[in-house]
Amino acid sequence: MSVSNLLSNWSEFRHTHPVDDVPHDPYKWAMAVDLDACTGCNACSIACYAENNLPVVGKEKYSHGHVMHWIRVERYWDEDGREFPDQGAQFLPMMCQQCEAAPCETVCPVGATNHTPDGLNSQIYNRCIGSRYCSANCPFKVRYFNWYDYPTTDDVWPAEMTQQLNPDVSVRGKGVMEKCTFCVQRLTVVKGNAKSEGRIVREGEVQTACQQACPTGAISFGNIVDPESRVHKQWQAQQVELAKDVQAKDTGEVASDLRGYRILEELRAYPSVMYLERVRELAPAKSEHHSA
Amino acid sequence: MMGSSFDRRDFLKVLGWGGAAVALSGCGNTSVEDGKETVVSYSEPTDYMIPSIGVYYNSTCAQCDAGCNINGRVREGRVLKLEGNPDSAINRGKLCGLGQAGVQHHYNPDRIREPLLRSGDKGEAITWEKAYALIAEKLQGVDGEEIAFVTGGMSGHSKVLLENYLLSFGCKNHFVYEAVAPAVVRAANEKSYGVTMPRLSINKAKLVLSFGADFLGSWISPVHFSQQYGQFRKGVDGQRGILVQVESKMTLTGANADRWLVVRPGTEGVLALGLINALGTASGDAAAAAQGYDKERVSKDTGVSVEQIDKLVELLKSHTPSLVLAGSAAEGYVHGSQNAAAINLLNHVLGNVGKTIEPAASVPFPQMSPAVGGTAALTKLGEGLSAGKFKVLFNYAANPVFTAPASMKLKDELTKVGFKIAFAHYLDETALQADLVLPLDSALEDWGTSVPEYMAGDAQISVQQPLMEKLYANTRGFGDILLVLLKQRQSDNYKDYADYYAYLRGAMLQNKNALGGEGADDDTFWNHSLSSGILKAAGSSAALSGSASAAGLTLPAPAAADAQYPLHFIPGVSASHRDGRHANQPWLQESPDPLTTIVWDSWVEIHPKKAAELGIVEGDIVEVTSKSGSIKAQAYLFPGIHPDAVSVPLGQGHEAMGRYAKGIGANPFAILDAVFDKETGELAMHETRVKISKTGQRVVVVKDEGPAGGSQAGKKIAARLDANHVDLSKEA
Repeated sequence: MSVSNLLSNWSEFRHTHPVDDVPHDPYKWAMAVDLDACTGCNACSIACYAENNLPVVGKEKYSHGHVMHWIRVERYWDEDGREFPDQGAQFLPMMCQQCEAAPCETVCPVGATNHTPDGLNSQIYNRCIGSRYCSANCPFKVRYFNWYDYPTTDDVWPAEMTQQLNPDVSVRGKGVMEKCTFCVQRLTVVKGNAKSEGRIVREGEVQTACQQACPTGAISFGNIVDPESRVHKQWQAQQVELAKDVQAKDTGEVASDLRGYRILEELRAYPSVMYLERVRELAPAKSEHHSA
Repeated sequence: MMGSSFDRRDFLKVLGWGGAAVALSGCGNTSVEDGKETVVSYSEPTDYMIPSIGVYYNSTCAQCDAGCNINGRVREGRVLKLEGNPDSAINRGKLCGLGQAGVQHHYNPDRIREPLLRSGDKGEAITWEKAYALIAEKLQGVDGEEIAFVTGGMSGHSKVLLENYLLSFGCKNHFVYEAVAPAVVRAANEKSYGVTMPRLSINKAKLVLSFGADFLGSWISPVHFSQQYGQFRKGVDGQRGILVQVESKMTLTGANADRWLVVRPGTEGVLALGLINALGTASGDAAAAAQGYDKERVSKDTGVSVEQIDKLVELLKSHTPSLVLAGSAAEGYVHGSQNAAAINLLNHVLGNVGKTIEPAASVPFPQMSPAVGGTAALTKLGEGLSAGKFKVLFNYAANPVFTAPASMKLKDELTKVGFKIAFAHYLDETALQADLVLPLDSALEDWGTSVPEYMAGDAQISVQQPLMEKLYANTRGFGDILLVLLKQRQSDNYKDYADYYAYLRGAMLQNKNALGGEGADDDTFWNHSLSSGILKAAGSSAALSGSASAAGLTLPAPAAADAQYPLHFIPGVSASHRDGRHANQPWLQESPDPLTTIVWDSWVEIHPKKAAELGIVEGDIVEVTSKSGSIKAQAYLFPGIHPDAVSVPLGQGHEAMGRYAKGIGANPFAILDAVFDKETGELAMHETRVKISKTGQRVVVVKDEGPAGGSQAGKKIAARLDANHVDLSKEA
């Protein structure tokens, strides 16, 4: 793909998905993360390291912001000036939101990041030239750049540890961008199996690594087009729609027990990840607080 | 695979010739044996070996004592990833980060590969024949009383072999030493309920009141409890579970509570008695024990406001059944047993015993059931060492030189032992003191059985099997080594067993009928054992004692302020690092601490108010000094800690072990005062007092949270809803 081709046919490349002429059929992968069940334990993150050949960068590079965790658990505190966090902390697993109108896609000068028909925001390592525009434009800060050639960096993968590398996932070299793929290597396998049997992938046939590890089952993942899928049911019950940028909950016209939302909805990136609000008992009034 | 005649062991042998060689050459390595690249054609493929297709084998996780059942993905002869076994009552297909990192233990570049014999300051590689001969020689004429065997918690057939070995000497010195274990709670449970480890049903409780039990992070069986917690949050009979956590330093569980109550360190029991008093439903002993603990006094002693106590009492009355837990924070004091007893008493008063606290199943083979321990063993070991009692000492699955308080001078005391043998994966602090180091197979290369201490479902025995061919020719399984040592003693009894595998198979087949294999032929039963990884045993469960005795329950007045050491010191136990045995697994180092998000280092948690008082800002290197020693680490301002306490996480500060662990952070074990719980003799981990001072140095704290810290900057990122708005049981 040449730049001139890209520029002259811009509208073809700049899709907001789904578009009427290209519906998600038969697949659109989506996720729901229940923050009420998430305990912040980090099992998802470590499972991702194991599945996706993520390099361990070490303390110094970590301090430079070079950490490669495709899924991280963010921790927030209440900001109401209390002396102690009486309602605990807020945890939020953050991974690529696989946006339907992904801000990262439009800025890639070489089309290395683009949309797949099954609704993934894909990253083509071989095409990536490392401009890092995508990362700059990502509102969720979930794109990770290989500043170093980790396979040849000391103590990242000593010879013994290379044997753990997942052969289904390429090991990235210096100068390319990478990110969460919704475990596309697992999706490819089950899609192939289903195709050879003349059907589509069934609910429960595939899990992402993070979902599989999660001890409380906070993460659900599946084909949102499939009405049998849990993720479809969850999105529907929460009245969150993929192609809308104002959800029922935001209008204030529906029951207040909805807790599904997408992060930074107002940016109109149309993420494929829905979060479910954490539920907690009301905090005590500040005056009720500890006498300590 | 049940019913097939496929023999797992043959498979591994075949894999050894074909699969492993292909795997090694496939990723550019050369054969360990001859240094040459080996190319094996797939024109004659082995059964169950399809290039590029992963095969899954069940086994048991050895990363902590919860003993989750795992499912390892094996491809081209290499184990790639560990998942939870979906059929397990313990972890139901799930696995925590620590368990996931098991592959990094297996493939760790710093594993010991040859038996090492001390030669001055160096270890000289020797053969196994020489090592075994040396052990026999050193044990010649040694009396049973002069042998010490230190281990971590053990169960299953390796425990049976070990006990038989010790019996052959008439040796009673098996020190089961667990540096971080709920040992005081076990003893308190025994008194309160009649069993050390009852089955807890968080998922049946409408209110969980936890006194410092980090059941979502590091306490007993966290993956199991996390699943129960998921159900608990959805609600029982439409009533959503409420979690109240009482502690002085916020744990991961505390961070997930509806209400986190900070208490003055050590006054957990006072609050429990205060609640019994305020509930007003207790009679007899319990009422007598709670007498005088009126709300005003309790509030004054604990720092929890009267309003909060009222609210808690109201919740306890309206939410039944509930579940009250005594955790490591409550037990870590000189009066730890009393704290735990008071907390357990609350369960009796609330009528939770028999509802959310039930008897656990136990396996019908007492010789295989877990040998658990704590830190009391350390005291006994120390006494024996300083008396110069031991001529030969064995150490397995423990690192006492790293985890014992420095004031016990264990490293120096060990020099009094004539010959020290360490079974080890790494050259850790204890292995470095040994005269002979025996390299162990990893848990993914070795055979074994285990019985979990916390039995989540029916009584079960978990099977551990090799997931791949051994990486190194000269490592050995612990069971195999024991068998050789036993043959030195009683060759007739063990001559039928060529190796530990043969012993294990024989022993399991002998008990086939009790393990659900009645009527099955031997091969079918054995193949089923390996393919399922879990054997259900017709277990029994003892009834819990229904009544509570509060006799002798007295709590001391809150500790007076110490002018010289004004702060309480709380050693933090994290889900990833525990007692430090996994510090050389880089995923765990790079995985941020959930609460502070700090990586690759230690830190001192200090409340912002106290920090302001002392003029400390984030990143200041501070010196934490106790009567027993001092450590230095970076300060981190943390709102979830009592202002009169500071906390440093355990597990870091290794002086040895490997490239990822050595030189990282500071070791808080070193500054713990050697004071003990009065009843059980366990180390009172939270009893140490410290002072802190700035050193003048400051660093940038390496952590995952951004410059905004814990702020969402006005955006709706991680959102929260009040519980009265929503009924989760109705959700999809």
